[in-house]
Amino acid sequence: MDFVILSLVMLAIGIYGLLTNRQLLKVFISVELIATAATLNFVMLASSASQGLGQAFLILAFSTDTAVSGVVLALLVIVTKKYGTSNINEILKMQEKKGSEAEQ
Amino acid sequence: MILEILSIGLLVSACLALFLDEVVYSVAALAGTFLFTALLYYVNGAIYAAIFQFVVGVGTLAILFLSGEMLSDKSTKKTSPKKLAALIGAGVVLSLPAIFLSVSSSTGVYSDASFGDALWNLSGVDVVLQALVIFTVALGIAIILYERRSVGK
Repeated sequence: MDFVILSLVMLAIGIYGLLTNRQLLKVFISVELIATAATLNFVMLASSASQGLGQAFLILAFSTDTAVSGVVLALLVIVTKKYGTSNINEILKMQEKKGSEAEQ
Repeated sequence: MILEILSIGLLVSACLALFLDEVVYSVAALAGTFLFTALLYYVNGAIYAAIFQFVVGVGTLAILFLSGEMLSDKSTKKTSPKKLAALIGAGVVLSLPAIFLSVSSSTGVYSDASFGDALWNLSGVDVVLQALVIFTVALGIAIILYERRSVGK
């Protein structure tokens, strides 16, 4: 059992989801998975060397992760209310339309 | 054996969280991911990390369930059983390298710092600064949403 490979696979899944999903909430879930993969690697390596410092840094990583989640969710609510959809492609299309109308 | 089962569950729930069509179900699968991660920490002896993972996971999931209900399109199609089986199979296959391969090597860097020592003596300033960052971020989000509301009026 190797936790480095496990977290690497999880990181790959998260990056794949980040690149392929078009729903804003799914993109956010991908970001959460990437953060979980990073903390998993960190804690497992530290606890296998019986270090308490790994868990202490995990708390700092969690607080940063929570701050990022708060900002992303606030932006997500604003964008979804402004455009009426949470699909990235549709939002980009609307923005292009707005841009071309403004040029004319 | 327990670690292998937990790692398979972790990757299966991660695949389900990303590729299920219904947002609420994918948030439920993300709950499974957080739970399996917390269990992995607990089995490996990182009890504090398991507790924090669990608590932060519960908070994140509560917000995600709310926003998922609020923001998702109601007319999304349902996931077919074939796709569900394919996702579970992909999760199991992806967890095989972690179970059978090994790349780790001992670095020889060991310290006897306990969790309490490490948190308050070695990184106490970091903890206080992080609390400040969280407070600033909360204030920033409140300002963003307040301005938005006043512009809407």
